[in-house]
Amino acid sequence: MEEENNILRETVAEFCEKNLDEKKIETDGIDKKLTQLLAEQGFLGCAIPDKYSGSGLDETSYEIILEEIAKYSPTVAMRIFVLNSMYYPAVNGTAAEETLKDASTGKINIAVDFINKKTGNESVSGKIKGTLKNILGTDADKLVVFNDGTSLVSGPFKSESRDFMGFRGLKFGDLFLDNSVQVLDKSNRLSEIMEKAYGPASAIALGMIASALQKAIDYTNVRKAFGSQLRDFEPVSFRLARFRSTEVILRNSLYGKVDPYYTFNFAMEHLVEIARYSVNTHGGYGYFKDFGVEKFYRDAIVMKSIFYGTEELRKLTDHVYSEKINFI
Amino acid sequence: MFEELDDYRNKIREFALKEFTEEVAAEYDRKESYPDYLRKKSLSLGIVDMQNPAKVLIAIEELCRVDAGLGIALTTPYFGSEVIMLFGNDKQKEILNDVYRGKYILGLGVTEPSGGSDVAALKTTAKKQGNKYILNGSKMFITNGAIADYLVILARTSEDSNPHHGLSTFLLNTKSKGFSATKLEDKLGVRATNTAELQFNNIELSEDDLIGEEGKGFYYIMMFFNISRIYVAAQSIGIARGAFDKIKSYIKENNIKDEDSMFQLSDVGTRIEASIQMTYNAASYLFEFKPKPELTSMAKAYSSETAVFAAEEAMEILGDRSLYEDVQRIFRNAKIMEIWEGTSEIEKLVIARYILKGE
Ligand SMILES: Cc1cc2nc3c(=O)[nH]c(=O)nc-3n(C[C@H](O)[C@H](O)[C@H](O)COP(=O)(O)OP(=O)(O)OC[C@H]3O[C@@H](n4cnc5c(N)ncnc54)[C@H](O)[C@@H]3O)c2cc1C
Repeated sequence: MEEENNILRETVAEFCEKNLDEKKIETDGIDKKLTQLLAEQGFLGCAIPDKYSGSGLDETSYEIILEEIAKYSPTVAMRIFVLNSMYYPAVNGTAAEETLKDASTGKINIAVDFINKKTGNESVSGKIKGTLKNILGTDADKLVVFNDGTSLVSGPFKSESRDFMGFRGLKFGDLFLDNSVQVLDKSNRLSEIMEKAYGPASAIALGMIASALQKAIDYTNVRKAFGSQLRDFEPVSFRLARFRSTEVILRNSLYGKVDPYYTFNFAMEHLVEIARYSVNTHGGYGYFKDFGVEKFYRDAIVMKSIFYGTEELRKLTDHVYSEKINFI
Repeated sequence: MFEELDDYRNKIREFALKEFTEEVAAEYDRKESYPDYLRKKSLSLGIVDMQNPAKVLIAIEELCRVDAGLGIALTTPYFGSEVIMLFGNDKQKEILNDVYRGKYILGLGVTEPSGGSDVAALKTTAKKQGNKYILNGSKMFITNGAIADYLVILARTSEDSNPHHGLSTFLLNTKSKGFSATKLEDKLGVRATNTAELQFNNIELSEDDLIGEEGKGFYYIMMFFNISRIYVAAQSIGIARGAFDKIKSYIKENNIKDEDSMFQLSDVGTRIEASIQMTYNAASYLFEFKPKPELTSMAKAYSSETAVFAAEEAMEILGDRSLYEDVQRIFRNAKIMEIWEGTSEIEKLVIARYILKGE
């Protein structure tokens, strides 16, 4: 098992090294060619069952793929995550599950309205009309909207894209809808779906942490100041070493037996700090896109702002207080 | 000293709110270009009064509170002026007057591709040949580098066993033969400011271009940092207060009352208040010509970390709302505070050195 996982890890890393140019992805987006490539490799729909043309991989393999891809391109990892961890559970078991085949093979793009949490839009009598603001993935052909009746909306959509701070390769903006909808569920399932996605979301955070940290370690090994390598300044190397412990513990939690609630909380608590410090260690260079570290800081804060807040802390707290105590 | 200037503060705030609209701020952030029309406007309205450092501090703070990219763009055309004011010759002071009047833009080049923290290790040389100096080398990340008319440049004029000796400052005309500047693009934040890499290829400088005495440049620059770090602390306070404004309105508008949010609000407020006290205290020594470098470095390091802290808190408290409004720009602008004019690590080294010196 361990060996298989290592082989998978290496395969994904090799693929990323060859095909993922994050600077290009950040400016041009994830183009059709790359989407096809991800589909052919079985990464696009990796956790979606075979019958929907996915790869039907287990949770660990799925998370390994997300982790490795996030090291190179948090944007691509996020696209895979949205399909496998949000779109798939939203349409699975409904008449809309037919769309999964085209989504897993990259024929259509999908998006999930998970940023807005509660939208005011109502899908009245099978139609949705109006502006849906702040959608990550305005290039989508199908969109899942979470409102009081979770719905699938089919394109084409008119859209307007705007600059976005994080996961820049995913087009971001507003959709102008006058479309028919398919009701997937009578209730808003976003919170429940998100809870089940704690593992995969942590895998993306882990990939970002590992990569931002490795860049800092590599840089402090070569950059000199005051006649020494930066690694020789202990406040710098101590901090990076402590971050490595965080990374290793996170990885072991994720792939081990730790409750995903705790893993996710741990990942979110450390992500921004490590990404930020990677920028610091690069000095002025860290502030420029060319060095490839500021993007982790941007993506990190975006991820934390979207996925983690009072609501998640309340869930975690309920989880802790409802746990059975292990002694009599 | 600062309370007396409340009217002036209000005037600056009014200007910033009127001119730094979301559209303008977003446009210059996106285009990554310098808003020269705003610089001219600010001059005609007397927004920046370089003769009065307390006013400069307030202007920086209030402008950055509304938008740090534009705010810094309007307050850095004078960057390096203190070196000329304190040590320059008459001719250089004439040029400085034209800088104040808005005829010229100034900048200061210390950092090089091989390092910024370790100032004395710089590689740019100005070798004396007869009554001229020949400048060779390069500078990195220089604010206004590609738009400046004049630059204060630190270069090595002689080798010395003490690396702090043998460095000198020059006032370089950017029209000089052998000078070139390449604009650096794709910064995380403060994108309305111009940043460039500079090349000096056998530039001839006259003795009149030397600022102050030969060999004393390192000390002039350290003296300059005593002043400029106060201004970075002011930029940081401005950014932190801007983030705090966003947090407060979000909490009020959404009628948020939970205790956790209240604690976050109070943490940000407390750190801002501490930053203000530290900065104004350090500034009051400086403005009476008795700078205390440790207080300055404490104020700079603490305020810059507060700017980053407040910006990150704003991102998190506003949650998804923060992602597409001006808050994300505040977040991107904040990070530079911990880098320029001495990283937090360098400030800590200064603080420790002075603490032990005082024992
Ligand atoms: C947008 C922008 C504008 C700028 N404008 C100007 C300008 O106008 N003029 C100018 O001269 N410079 C300017 N700078 C440069 C800035 O001042 C430097 O980037 C900064 O001083 C750090 O230098 P460095 O980038 O070479 O980092 P380095 O000196 O290489 O430092 C890298 C990392 O190592 C750490 N480090 C270094 N030494 C030690 C130590 N002894 N102990 C512990 N840690 C240490 C640093 O804190 C940092 O985290 C600008 C930079 C930017 C990004």
